[in-house]
Amino acid sequence: MPRQLNISIGQHSDKGRKDANQDFHGAMIPAEPARSLKGIALALADGISSSAVGRDAAESAVGSFLADYYCTSDSWSVKTSAQRVIAAANSWLHAQTRRSRHAYERDRGYVCTLTVMVLKSRTAHLFHVGDCRVYRLVGQALEQLTEDHRVVASSQENWLGRALGMNGQVEIDYRAVPIEQGDVLVMATDGVYEHVSDRFVVQAIAEEAADLDRAAQRIVAKALENGSPDNLTLQIVRVDELPDGEAVEVLTQSTELPLPPLLEPRALFDGYRIVREIHGSARSHAYLAVDSGDESLVVLKIPSIELRQDPAYLRRFMMEEWVARRLDNAHVLKVREPNRARRFLYVATEYIEGQTLTQWMIDHPRPALDTVRDIVGQIATGLQAFHRKEMLHQDLRPENVMIDRTGTVKIIDFGSTRVSGIAEADPAAGRADAILGTVQYTAPEYFLGEAGTTRSDLFSLGVIAYQMLTGNLPYGARMARTRSRSEQRKVAYVPAAGEGRDLPAWVDGALRKAVHPDPLKRYAELSEFVHDLRRPNAEVLDANPAPLLERNPLLFWKSLSLALAVALLLLLAFHFDLGR
Amino acid sequence: MSYLAPSEFVVKMVDAGESKIFMSTKDTVIRAYMAGAILALAAWMAVTINTQLGIPLVAAAFFPIGFCMLYLLGFDLLTGVFVLCPLAVLDRRPGCTWGGVGRNWALVFIGNFAGALTVAFFAAIVCTFGFSTDPDKVGQTLGNIGVARTLGYEKYGAAGMMTLFIRGMLCNWMVSTGVVGAMISTNVSGKIMAMWMPIFLFFYMVFEHSVVNMFLFPAALMMHGAFSIKDYFIWNEIPTALGNLVGGLAFTGLTLYATHVRTSPKRVP
Repeated sequence: MPRQLNISIGQHSDKGRKDANQDFHGAMIPAEPARSLKGIALALADGISSSAVGRDAAESAVGSFLADYYCTSDSWSVKTSAQRVIAAANSWLHAQTRRSRHAYERDRGYVCTLTVMVLKSRTAHLFHVGDCRVYRLVGQALEQLTEDHRVVASSQENWLGRALGMNGQVEIDYRAVPIEQGDVLVMATDGVYEHVSDRFVVQAIAEEAADLDRAAQRIVAKALENGSPDNLTLQIVRVDELPDGEAVEVLTQSTELPLPPLLEPRALFDGYRIVREIHGSARSHAYLAVDSGDESLVVLKIPSIELRQDPAYLRRFMMEEWVARRLDNAHVLKVREPNRARRFLYVATEYIEGQTLTQWMIDHPRPALDTVRDIVGQIATGLQAFHRKEMLHQDLRPENVMIDRTGTVKIIDFGSTRVSGIAEADPAAGRADAILGTVQYTAPEYFLGEAGTTRSDLFSLGVIAYQMLTGNLPYGARMARTRSRSEQRKVAYVPAAGEGRDLPAWVDGALRKAVHPDPLKRYAELSEFVHDLRRPNAEVLDANPAPLLERNPLLFWKSLSLALAVALLLLLAFHFDLGR
Repeated sequence: MSYLAPSEFVVKMVDAGESKIFMSTKDTVIRAYMAGAILALAAWMAVTINTQLGIPLVAAAFFPIGFCMLYLLGFDLLTGVFVLCPLAVLDRRPGCTWGGVGRNWALVFIGNFAGALTVAFFAAIVCTFGFSTDPDKVGQTLGNIGVARTLGYEKYGAAGMMTLFIRGMLCNWMVSTGVVGAMISTNVSGKIMAMWMPIFLFFYMVFEHSVVNMFLFPAALMMHGAFSIKDYFIWNEIPTALGNLVGGLAFTGLTLYATHVRTSPKRVP
């Protein structure tokens, strides 16, 4: 049996002299193959004490890191994976602050420090924001490996220079340190390291070598005794065993997986037996396959030959896997957990026995209103899972929605998903390509080059609902040809209720509001749209048309100017008349 | 030269047709204008080569330069959209209607014509020193071509019209094969090679290309070609465009679509 990475961990956290413990820590020692592929992760966060939600911030930062990190694609390096995960966590925390009552008070929002250590093969990767510290034990001393992000005003006053959740973007310190067998690394919050001597720490670890948790407890107790006023948290890691050299070779390869060839039925491919091709296009190829390990059916998706030379496309391709694994929702396609190392670049997902919504619409040209409500509701639930994680799907269309035999609806393609805080996930650079073939469902703001919001996904869902009920698009082909707001305002909505269709006017009103060209005039939330499809809402039925100023500002100002000019001429005429 | 599997490129053809239907008026016209102008430049060069060397083979060998340039720059020819746009409607892509196809064809026709006319005007100035001398040799050749390929057909009446139509069909069969060939290959050198062959063939065989003719005949008229604008439209442009439409669609678009998108089940022996 080859040797694998083995470590001992000792951790302790205490609220100390404060009322609540705003520190949060966690560690994840996964089983193989994840241990070789992704490594062992430890995370430590310290919520800022000025905020009532500091503890929540710290807890979600650590929790989401440990969960999300292991969802990242195997083909990403530790650095890429961790930086993206932390960037996403930062965006999420920042968004929570913006939504809370304290939107403009940073010191009361969801802000915390985060220090992460990932041990993979023979390297410790450190990611660091804030003022926790990582030390390495060298002989009888502690060597500090991180830098405190603190702004010192005086010996009494200092504050955090950098923290998670403070801004929309976060700069993360990264450092990779080679590790040897027997190395000891220590992670501590300021409540600990400011109040114990290095010597005591080294001594405690040496004396309690058999039980590092006890060592951590002793150090924390000593710091408290020395008068630490803060929360105290300490994590100790000792490297007991390192993997074999050969294993390291295999692992370093995984960051650059080779591209698979196009597959043929009955071929064996990386432990899968190909059954048949399900889908092939210039974007990707999908195959139905049987996992030779447990005989389960899976779908393998591989990059198309067309786009193989496009690095941005390949980055998005691997992003897709991470996006899917971050989401656990009945209405979102599930990606299989890898149970062995991959040798090619592909994504294995569950097999959904069913049809795409496109096919479903052909089979059901006149569906019952209730069926449409049900399907739209399920897609909305799937989309909400994206939005809750600060992600936008951006490419919702009937081909990307599957309906299985039980009537469960799932969103299947995440190639265009934008993860907030991560630049690589933003397909804005390749936007012209990204909207190819899906312009019918793309929200109008994208044509103006604006960034999307959750309301852009709502637009796509509205178009799908409209198409299911009528078979047509709400604006035909005209919306996709617009390049300015004023052009978009002029594109007329074709009422869904017309042409002998028996559709209540309030349902049409809800659809019209969902696909409004101006994002601010749409529903704010998906749930409101779904609700309005079920119950009449007097608001969307409002018979009073919008004021002229809103419908056609140019005409409004022209008429006003004309009226003023006429008034002026009349006045002049009267003036001269009277003067005579 | 790496190339795509048929299932990839036919879906790409349909996607391309779809995106043209949804293209804004401004983009459609600009791309068509530039395509018409670049193709006209290449045609002018080919006529010049022919005048100087008198070897049509050499002219035909170099003419594809224009086509390669405009394709690589992403411009649209009427002959290309004749083939691509209907596929999106046949594939029942949402929002794609025959009305949308007709609109695209009309806009591309106008754009191509304006582009080719611009180059024809420039060519007339160059060949006559700003209309101050008689046309030079190239100008005279252009004028002769204009006469031969309008009045030449008219002489034979309905049979001439049929010849013209068939030549149009043959032309776009080849030209659209070049468009598809460019889609199959994934790198620039491959795209150029794939386009070169069919374009070379069509030009050497003197098949009638509606956009090339938008340059040749107006240029001929400006250089005192002895035929009328009416002759040009009735005895060349309109039958050529229709032939291009039928040939490209029947021999390239529909055949590939029918065999690679709407595949019939494989026969089991």
